Amino acid sequence: MKKRRIKKTYALLLAFSMLVVLALSGCTGGKSAGEVAPEGKGDSGGSSGEQVTITHYTMDSEDRTFIEKLVPDFEAKHPNIKVRIEKAPYEQFDSKLQTLIAGGKSPDVTSHYGYGGFAEYFNKDMLLDMNDIIKEDGFKASDYSIPEDLMDIYTIKDHVYGIPVNMYVTLMLYNKDMFDAANVPYPPSDYEDKSWTFDKMVEEAKKMTHVSDDIAKTQYGVDFTWSERDMRPLYFGVEPYSQDTWTNGGVPSETHFDSPEVMATYNKLFDLILKDKVSPTTEWSKSVAGQNGDAFVTGKVGMTVSGSWSLAGSNDFPFEVGVAAVPAGGNDKIRSVLFVDPLFILKGSKHPKEAFEWIKYLVSEEVQEKSIDLSGGNPPVNTKAAEAYYKHFEGIDPEDVKKVYEGAVKYGFESYNHLITNYSQINDMFINEMQPIDTGHKTVEEVMPTIQKKVMEIIKR
Amino acid sequence: MRTIPTASPSASPSTNKRRRKIDVVSIASFIALVVTTFLMLLPLFFMVSTSLKSKKELLKFPPTFLPDSWEWSNYKEIFETLNFGQMYMNSLIIGTLTVVGTLLSSALAAYGFARYRGKGSNLWFMLMLSTMMLPYPAIMIPQFILFSKLNWIDTFLPLIVPAFFGSAYNIFLLRQFFSTLPDELFDAGRMDGCSELRMWWRIALPLSGPALATVAIFAFIYSWNDLLTPVLYLSSSDKFTLPVGMSSFTSSRFRIPPWHLLMVASVLAMLPIVTLFAIAQKRFVEGIVLTGIK
Repeated sequence: MKKRRIKKTYALLLAFSMLVVLALSGCTGGKSAGEVAPEGKGDSGGSSGEQVTITHYTMDSEDRTFIEKLVPDFEAKHPNIKVRIEKAPYEQFDSKLQTLIAGGKSPDVTSHYGYGGFAEYFNKDMLLDMNDIIKEDGFKASDYSIPEDLMDIYTIKDHVYGIPVNMYVTLMLYNKDMFDAANVPYPPSDYEDKSWTFDKMVEEAKKMTHVSDDIAKTQYGVDFTWSERDMRPLYFGVEPYSQDTWTNGGVPSETHFDSPEVMATYNKLFDLILKDKVSPTTEWSKSVAGQNGDAFVTGKVGMTVSGSWSLAGSNDFPFEVGVAAVPAGGNDKIRSVLFVDPLFILKGSKHPKEAFEWIKYLVSEEVQEKSIDLSGGNPPVNTKAAEAYYKHFEGIDPEDVKKVYEGAVKYGFESYNHLITNYSQINDMFINEMQPIDTGHKTVEEVMPTIQKKVMEIIKR
Repeated sequence: MRTIPTASPSASPSTNKRRRKIDVVSIASFIALVVTTFLMLLPLFFMVSTSLKSKKELLKFPPTFLPDSWEWSNYKEIFETLNFGQMYMNSLIIGTLTVVGTLLSSALAAYGFARYRGKGSNLWFMLMLSTMMLPYPAIMIPQFILFSKLNWIDTFLPLIVPAFFGSAYNIFLLRQFFSTLPDELFDAGRMDGCSELRMWWRIALPLSGPALATVAIFAFIYSWNDLLTPVLYLSSSDKFTLPVGMSSFTSSRFRIPPWHLLMVASVLAMLPIVTLFAIAQKRFVEGIVLTGIK
């Protein structure tokens, strides 16, 4: 019996090791077929006739990975180019990208889908100057109906480093059910309607706000926790970063976060929560919607200023949704922040020409139009495809979406997060430092001088 | 203490009292246990309950305790919308091979450290233990370059092969166990003409069930939950593991995360670990006690 047991264990060990060997060799086989072959070809050649493989590195979420479905059609049209989609979840996007580049496996095409922004990529010298390719190709933004001012965002000293592919705007979403219940007329979607001001918004929000000890019965009129915190003064006509930011590679020479003008704008926004009490506190929002949740989607908030990406989920909200213009805060020129997503070619790319071919394909009218459905509502950069986008949202009047978009472009300002260096650190710092104001432990006047000092430190890094 | 000397004829009321006292204590601790168990199970309960809700119901506030409509189809949906079955298999393959590799390599190294004394063996042991201090991000890029030179990118190899080279923590754990084994056993083995490797295989390993079970469970859980390494090395969707797929659920900045599906995934992802633990529980607890005692 003992002998048999020993034999059995030996057999088991043998079986295990065979399994291991099998599995390992299996993996290697699969791999060398997929990876080595195209790369070998790529290294040797680069000339136009030969087949090359380019990689597009993107975020692993439905609204980004839909491009996988576009690959077969592209490959059919460009038999010499193969496209490989590599992806990573949002949280790991930056670390994987850094590792890929450091490990000599740099992807060809990507965007700043992680925490970093354009300025950060540019300053780290990760981006390829596209000028030569554009010249050789004869690419014109107008042929793809891309507005010139969007191209300008990624042009530094006449060198192009990125081609816009999606354009999100800031807009206001409102809960129609709550407006109806309070008998308040819907806010306008037309940016030219001068009656739609910040003060009017507060007034209407008051009509919808009911604060009660019972958290289930409490509802608020408006949520104005609008995107990144350092942009908010802009909206009231105050610029916290000096003008030379845009000519200086994302490094402003001065910032003014401790100026009385900037502090007044923050006070105005915090008053919504602390004085007028028409907006939820952060704790309340968290307890209603969870850590990263949005209290608006639970139907407990009447209006919210938000990015147009929220539209994509609107069909799932448990109430009727409308879109409106962002109310006028006192700035005649800027009332909306634009979040443009570009496509870059990375410096490590071995096949920049083919990569550019793929980018051109992605911004072409037909593909942009197709992408709206495939992605579930990504806003196209191609203005000809925009019409299809306006009609995409069930239950929302296309005319409203159109007006909101056109107004936002007219009164829009490109988001700082794409333009200022070391932005992820700046943003983290803002969130941490402003926490005590959220909870009412400190005033804006107490906190802003520290923020001003820290912003300058981060920028100079 | 005071109740012991009262072993006199009139002891009955005091022993009664004592019994009642014990009863009160045990009832109270029983209630406390029930309450804590309930509190501990509450998140699990919500996980299962949320996994059966519809997408619209997720957003309701206050949240419903039990689903209004039981959406069993969520469990079907996850296999249809995601490559869920494939990811599950990938995780299982990687996990199993990691366990095999860890057990073989760590046990062999631990045996060496436990049974042989040589010049500087303590120094080597310290050196090995010090590798525990290295945070993964410090070796992330060099390791990536190494594996990419070997052309192992987008294969399971970088996730499995390192397990076959032992890990400091497990070697330490097993070494502590092996050194509790009496020398006489091995002397007897040597007398019978057993080779060293055979003694490891036939004496040390069969006696170390609890310790090996502990290491196996740790290794499996570590591999099963690991996110960063698969994210770095795997690029094609058909090779993704469960954690990669699951963290992609909440990846979009543009959508409400499908919490119901995430909860379905969590319920299913929990199963292998619960099963493994249930099977190995006795040995696992033993293993912790024994290695801990040393």
